[in-house]
Order: sequence, then structure tokens, then C-alpha cells
Amino acid sequence: MTRGTRLRLVLRDVASGCAFASMAVSGQLPLWTLGLFAFALVAALFGKRLFARRAKLTALLLLGVAAVLAVNVTSGALNLVVAACAFAGLISAHRLLSAPDPATDGQVHLSGLLMVAGGAALSGELVYGLFLVAFSVLSSVSMALGVVEAAVPEGEPIPVRAVLRPLGTGVTFAVAGAMAFFILFPRLNWNMTGPRAAPGLGPATAGFSNTVRLGGAGTIKDNPRIVLRATLSPDPGVDALGSYWVGRTYDIFDGMEWTNAGGVRREREPLLTLRPGGDNLIHQRVELLPAYGARTLIALETPSRLGNAVANGSTGSRRTSLQELAGGEARFLEAGVSYAYEAYSLPPGGSGDSFRKLPSEEQDALLALPEALDPRVAQTAARVLNGEREPLAAAQKLATWLQREHAYTLEQNGEREDPLADFLFDRKAGHCEHFATALTLMLRTQGIRARLATGFFGGERVNDGYVLRAGDAHAWTHVLVPERGFVTVDATPPAHRPSQGSRLLQRLLGLYEALESRWRNSVVDYSFRDQVDVARALVRPPKGAENTARSRLPPARAWGAALVAGMVVYAAWRLVTRLAGRPRPHAATRFVDAVEAMLVPARLVRGEGETLEDLDARLARERHPLALALAPVTRRYLEARFGGRPLRQGEADQLLRALQQSVAAHVKLEAQRARASEPRARAS
Amino acid sequence: MKLRLKQRWARLRVWLRPPRTLKVTRIGRTYLVVTFGVGLGALNTGNNLLYLLLGLLLSMVVVSGVLSERCIRDISVRRVGTDAAFAAEPFAFRWAVSRKQGHAFALTFSEADSPLVGGGGVGYLPANVEHVVRADLTAPRRGPVRLTGVRVTTTWPLGLFAKTRVLPLEGLLLVYPRRAYACQEPGDAERGPAGDAGNPRRNDGSGDVTGLRELAEGEDARRIHWLKSASAGKLLRVEREREERRTWVLAVEPGLEGAALERRCEEVAALAHRLLEEGHEVGLNTTDQRLRSGAGSAQEKRILRALAWLGFEGLREEEEEAA
Repeated sequence: MTRGTRLRLVLRDVASGCAFASMAVSGQLPLWTLGLFAFALVAALFGKRLFARRAKLTALLLLGVAAVLAVNVTSGALNLVVAACAFAGLISAHRLLSAPDPATDGQVHLSGLLMVAGGAALSGELVYGLFLVAFSVLSSVSMALGVVEAAVPEGEPIPVRAVLRPLGTGVTFAVAGAMAFFILFPRLNWNMTGPRAAPGLGPATAGFSNTVRLGGAGTIKDNPRIVLRATLSPDPGVDALGSYWVGRTYDIFDGMEWTNAGGVRREREPLLTLRPGGDNLIHQRVELLPAYGARTLIALETPSRLGNAVANGSTGSRRTSLQELAGGEARFLEAGVSYAYEAYSLPPGGSGDSFRKLPSEEQDALLALPEALDPRVAQTAARVLNGEREPLAAAQKLATWLQREHAYTLEQNGEREDPLADFLFDRKAGHCEHFATALTLMLRTQGIRARLATGFFGGERVNDGYVLRAGDAHAWTHVLVPERGFVTVDATPPAHRPSQGSRLLQRLLGLYEALESRWRNSVVDYSFRDQVDVARALVRPPKGAENTARSRLPPARAWGAALVAGMVVYAAWRLVTRLAGRPRPHAATRFVDAVEAMLVPARLVRGEGETLEDLDARLARERHPLALALAPVTRRYLEARFGGRPLRQGEADQLLRALQQSVAAHVKLEAQRARASEPRARAS
Repeated sequence: MKLRLKQRWARLRVWLRPPRTLKVTRIGRTYLVVTFGVGLGALNTGNNLLYLLLGLLLSMVVVSGVLSERCIRDISVRRVGTDAAFAAEPFAFRWAVSRKQGHAFALTFSEADSPLVGGGGVGYLPANVEHVVRADLTAPRRGPVRLTGVRVTTTWPLGLFAKTRVLPLEGLLLVYPRRAYACQEPGDAERGPAGDAGNPRRNDGSGDVTGLRELAEGEDARRIHWLKSASAGKLLRVEREREERRTWVLAVEPGLEGAALERRCEEVAALAHRLLEEGHEVGLNTTDQRLRSGAGSAQEKRILRALAWLGFEGLREEEEEAA
């Protein structure tokens, strides 16, 4: 095997791997198919073609695999599209392990094409786009090398470098052409199935349970995965939002874990109004990503209305109703891989809830204390407050004390019998749930109503929106303040409220998210409306152009139009100069052209390439009636053309007129003869 | 004026639609089917990624057309030809190929509109370098083959389509008859006074000595060189110049036509080849031509040429006139 052939096969195999990866990033393929393909790819890259000698026998394996996939599909364990994609991958794996020949190469490339198409159906990730381009480039190079290799005589080297240059240009143009097609090809459908969602790689990391148990590990704070995207209106325009995004609240603490009083409040609503809002509500368009992994809606504190919810699955999107539970929690009724919805929230400052309007069980729970609460908690609270009774001021005083006296740590020393006392008096270190629990219970010991809230803290600017990471999961305290409702007080030290993950990893993920956001807006969600916008932008100035400082220079469109006009003028000038600069035909040539045209009605039989001189000579030999008229014309033409005696003014007209008369007379005579001969012909 | 407009229009048409033929290869057919399927999927589902993939697939088709056109444009071919072409036997044929600018890849060459089967290829053809392409061609039957042009085909860049262009190039290839097995013996050697080799007086072992070799079984014992055999300890015989050379005059009988004529030509070619290989002199008699006896490869070529033209005399006269 030559070096060029080896390179071609490696490129072919890697291209196939990229095609398979474009499906695998969706996270929907069965794990065993991933394993089988990975094994085949690695073996192929090491040159081990295990099925080379028993291609037909091993094809039976594919039948077995097809049967397994079919059983999975019929039992409902596997989606049909996913099964088809997995089977395409396994066909490709089989071909990778077969002996390389032109037919096998073609099958590998075509199965790769099918896999890429399958990947488009399964996933909308940015990584898919990267794998698509990688597959196109590698596969094209491999195919081109195969074409050249087939034409190179045996033993001669394959000109790899020479191939790459024109092919690289070609592939670049192909990608540009694909983009042009993508932008300009009219979207004839309205995408009724809606966006699809794939679970992606890795398990969901965030989530809400019905309880919050103290003492759990705080590993989630290290996780930089993005779980929520939101666009806000009005847009705050800041890089770090630093806001509280609430999911639900808890009001009963039994010494170990937090729970809620009450159950389902509203069963099935398309739109949930949690509390009345005003004119200054903050609108949020929220997308919960597969990494979120729960059905609880999240909104900026304090949510007023939630609705327009859509659950995205692998087959498409569908509208879903919402359910309201105790603790102000709103849940999607139908499960999906990801969700999208809209929310309206009150501006920061208080929830506006009135104590009397709260459900009775919730009113009671806001002051409930665990039976075995350590008495030192109340004593410490009283000591710290030192007679302060105003709820918000007391809460802030306690929060300041907790931040000063206690350290933040994610490390836990196992399950404790009284985790609160352990945090407050022994270890004096904990994470957000410890701080929030301590503040809530210390307030309650002093007769101030409070509850625990969980959700996220933060908001990192990406393009035009904000994202939340799994590490932004947080817990804080709601203090009930008369006339203002529940007000947020956070006892956790400010530096430890947002995600605690690696900065580098967060930055990288932020960069990826920015690219992904652009990919999603420009490619995945590109629609007929965007096409109209593109067309409009070409003919009209973009919106907001009038707000920007006006340049004294003409707009770019004017430059473009001027350039096109200039090119048209240049082309016209070139054409005109070429026409004007061409040699004018000789006067004698024009004369002979006119003579030839005049002879047409006479219907003289002309030989191929017969010149006027030849015709004149022939007619004279044949004693043709036109010979006498044509002879002076021909002689004069020859004199004018070659004899140095140009035609005088009006001479050509004179000669032509004489010839025309002779031709007309000849034509007339011929017609009379024809008429005269016709009856005789009939009689005979 | 009208005529000029017509000429310009014709030139524009030629420029827009150069005389090329396009054939979809096997993998190309599957590619087009997949493209069609992706297009249907994109239109049906509105999946933008499928639109993107469709755009890429269609762009690759366009790029493939452009690159293949660049590949076969500006190519010039010169026929180098062959040493000898025998009917129904592969023979080496050569074209000298070059191009003024740009590179060309994966070109295959064959003779257009001719009964010659086979072709040659070149993987990479840089600019301003003359490359000789060798091909094994096969002609189905003997006789002159008029060549009108060279067919250049490329599947560059992806092997999805085979684009072909015919470069007009007039020529004539004379295909010699196949040297089949001769069922009949050539008959008695010519013993008339036609040259020295036919002189029976020269068959008596009186020619000049050319060498000694071991006596083979069944050979004439009178040729043994006894003195040398005694010193060497084995029987050696004397080889003399021309003493074994005979002269045959082969004939293609008049009146033969069709398959009989072909068969006779093949037989005569085979006999002539065998006899000339053995060192004899061979002549040829046909209806219109009489070749004097001669030996060596040049004589064989003369005989083969004469046999090749048999039945095509009219064309031969035309060629000679044109020459």
C-alpha cells in the first residue's frame, strides 16, 4: 500500500467517524452502537480490516443488529429515526472493517452522507455543524485522491499536494455555495414540527426535588454547564446580571430537611398568574436546556405570570400546560428534553404578597420551628439582633453576622444529627443551604416570618441574552415584610453565590455558548421571516441606522451600485471600441455583397465556394441570358478590388440598377416559360 | 449583418455549451438519489440543517462540474501511435498530452468513434509538460482504421460524473492481421533461381562456417566436425551461413472474401512470422501485389502491411494520393 493510498484510507475513515459523531452528539444513539462503531473505527485506523476475508458472512451480523434495533423500535424503547441512524452507523462500521476497494470506498462515503443527514434530523448542536464541515472536507479529499489514484499507473506516486490545492479551492467554493443556497433558498414550509431537542451528552445536573436536605454535597457549584438561556425585556444591558431566579420555596424544616405545606393548587393551566403585576413587569423568554433536568419553571424574582410553555422532544415541540404547587412552584405538565416559555416578573423590591392572603397552612408554616431545635440558635439570634424587631433590618443584621462569623465551603463532613447546630456552633462553615437555613430559622426564633427559596443566582451575558449555569444553583431567604411582601435576604457571602467552577472552563463554555447562540439564531432557527429581513436589508437601510451618527460618505449600497454601474459602462465601452476598431469592409466587398444579394431572385445554381468571377465565367460558357449583364459588373468589381481602380461616386448604383433590371427581366421570362410549360406537362 | 449575428450567436452558444458529454457514475447516481432524499426531507420537515446539507450537496455538484471543465479545457493531444497493431491482440498505443496552463487530474484517453477498444490514463498533468500516455488498445479486425479524434474523459474531482471531450485529430491506423495458428504447412520451399538462398547448390554444406554447436538428435551426421568433436569429447556439428535458409513464396489466393479472406490473411501472417523467425526468406503473392522474397523483420512488416491492405485497395489509393 502506497503512502497516498494509506492517507486516502485514513481520511476516509476519519470522515466516517466525523459523520457518526454528528449523530452521536445528539446523545440519542444507544451506547452499544457507539461502542461498536468506535471499535471499528480504531481497528480501521490501525489498518486492521477484520472483515476483509468474510465480507458476506459478516454481513449476517448486520442482519442480527437490524433485528435487535427492530425489536427495540417495536417495543417502543427506541425511536425509528434513531434506530435508522444507528443502523447507518453500523453499516459504515462494517464497511470500514472490509477490504478497501472502490466499491467499499463509495459505500463508506455514502453511508457517511446518510449519517450526516441522520445527524441533522437528531441534533441541532453547533458541534454538528463542525462535524458536517469536517466530514465534507475529509470525504472530498479522500474521494479526489481515490479518483486520481485510479488514473495513476501502478507504481507511480499519487500527487497528493497537487490535488489538495485545487480541491481546497473547490471545497471552499462549495461551502460558500452551500451558505448562499441556505440563505436564499425560499423556505416553503412553516416548520410545523417546531424545534427539536436532543438530550446531549452527559446527565442532567440541576433539578428540583420536593425536599432540600442539609448535609448534601455541594458539588453542583463546580458544574459550569449551561442550564438556562433567557432574553429580558427591557434589556438591562449589563454583563453580570446578579439576580435571583426563583424556582420554588420551602416553609417547613424538620431539623434535617425542608418541605412544603400543601399540595397542588391549580391542576392544569395554560397561563399561570401567581400574583398581580403592574406596568413595569420584566418580560423573560426562557429556555430550559437538557442539562437542567427538571420540570420546575424558573423566573426572575418575583414571578407574576408564567405561560406560553412548549416542551421540546426529539420528534418536535408541543404546547404544554402548567401546574401550580405549594411553595409557588410552577411545573410543566408534560415531560420534555428541553422547555421554552415566557415569564413576567415584578421588579426587585418585594413580592407584594399580603400575609392574610396566603393559604392558612402557609401562614402557620412561616413561623414553624423543628421540635429538636438547639436552644442556642434562638439565644444567638437574640444576642445578634439585640432588640431589633423590624423584619428586614433584623434579617440583614443576621445575614451580616453569618457572613462575618462563618466560612463558605463546599466540603462536607458527612451526615450530622443536627446539621444546623453543627454549622452554627461547631464547624462554622457550610454552603448556601446552610446559610439560608440558619438565617430563616434564626429569624423565626425571633418571631419574624421567613422561608427558604431555591433557584439560581447570577446571569452571564451572552450575545443578546443571559445564561445560567448549573453551578449558579443557590438557596436564600425570603423575609415577610409588611406592605412589601416577601423580600430576599441572602446570608451567603456574595463571592460564593454564583458558580464556583473553574474560570477557564467557564470562559470556554461561555465562548461555546456565544457561538452556539449565533449558530442557533442564524442556522437552526433561520426562517422565511429572516429571509425577508435579509431581502429588506439589501434594499433598505437597516433599522436603527437613522439613530447612528450619519457619515458624510455615501452608504455601502451606493458604492456597490456605483461599482456595478462602472463595470457595465466599462463593458459597454469595450464592446463599442471593439466594434469601432474592427476593419471596415472594402467598398468593393460591399459592392460584391450587394451583387450576390441581387442575384438571389434569379435562382442561379451556385457551386460551393464559387466566386463571382467563377460564376461569370460559367454563365458565359453556358450562354446564360444573365451573362451579358453580369460580365461588366464582375469586371468592374475585379478592377476595384484588385486593379487599383476604385468605384466612382454613384457608379456602383448605376451598375447595380442595370443588373437588377436584367435579373427582373430574366425572372419574368422564366416565370412565363414555367406557366407555358405547365399545361403541357399536365396533358402528357 | 444577419450572418454575423448568427455567427456570434453560434459562438456564444458554443462558449455556453461546449461540446461535452456528461455521464453519471455509479456512485454519482447514489449521490444524486441521496441528494434528492435530503431535499425532500428538508422541504417536508423544514429542518434547516437539512437545508444546509442540501446546499452543500448541490454545491459539490456545481463545483464538480466547474473543476472537471477546468481539467479538460486547454488540453492538446498528439498521436505518437504504435509500433505494430495486430487484430484481436492488445497493442501498445501512445498519445503525447500537454496543456498550456493549470493542472489536470485523472484523465483517461481513448480513440473516439473507432472500433479500437481500451484506453490509457494519466493521474496528474502539470502545465507545459508533455506527458506520454500509454494504452493497451485492441482492434477487432485487420485493415485500416480511420481515426477522427481523441476522447478525453475525467471523473475529477469526486468521481460522481465522467465528463468527456473529443479533440478532433485525423489519422489512420493500419491493423495487421492476427497471427493465428497456421493449420497448413507452407508447402515446399521455392527452389527456383530466385536469389542465392533459393539456389539448391548452396544447400550442400558449402557455405562459410559461422560456428559449432552440439549435434541434436536426428540431425544429419554428415555435418559433424570430427576433429573438434574428438577434442571436446562430444559430437559437434558445423553451422554454415545460409545453408539452411530456404525461400518460400506465400500466396493469398484470388477470389477470397469475407471470413475466408480473413482466415487466409491470418494464416499467411502466422506462416510468414514463423518462417522469418526461423531465418528463411519469404515472399508474398496477392491479387494486386507481389512482394519479392526477403528476410528479417522489415520483410515481415512489408508482408503484414500488404496483408492489412487486402480488401481495402480503394482506401489505400486515396491515402497514397493524399500523401
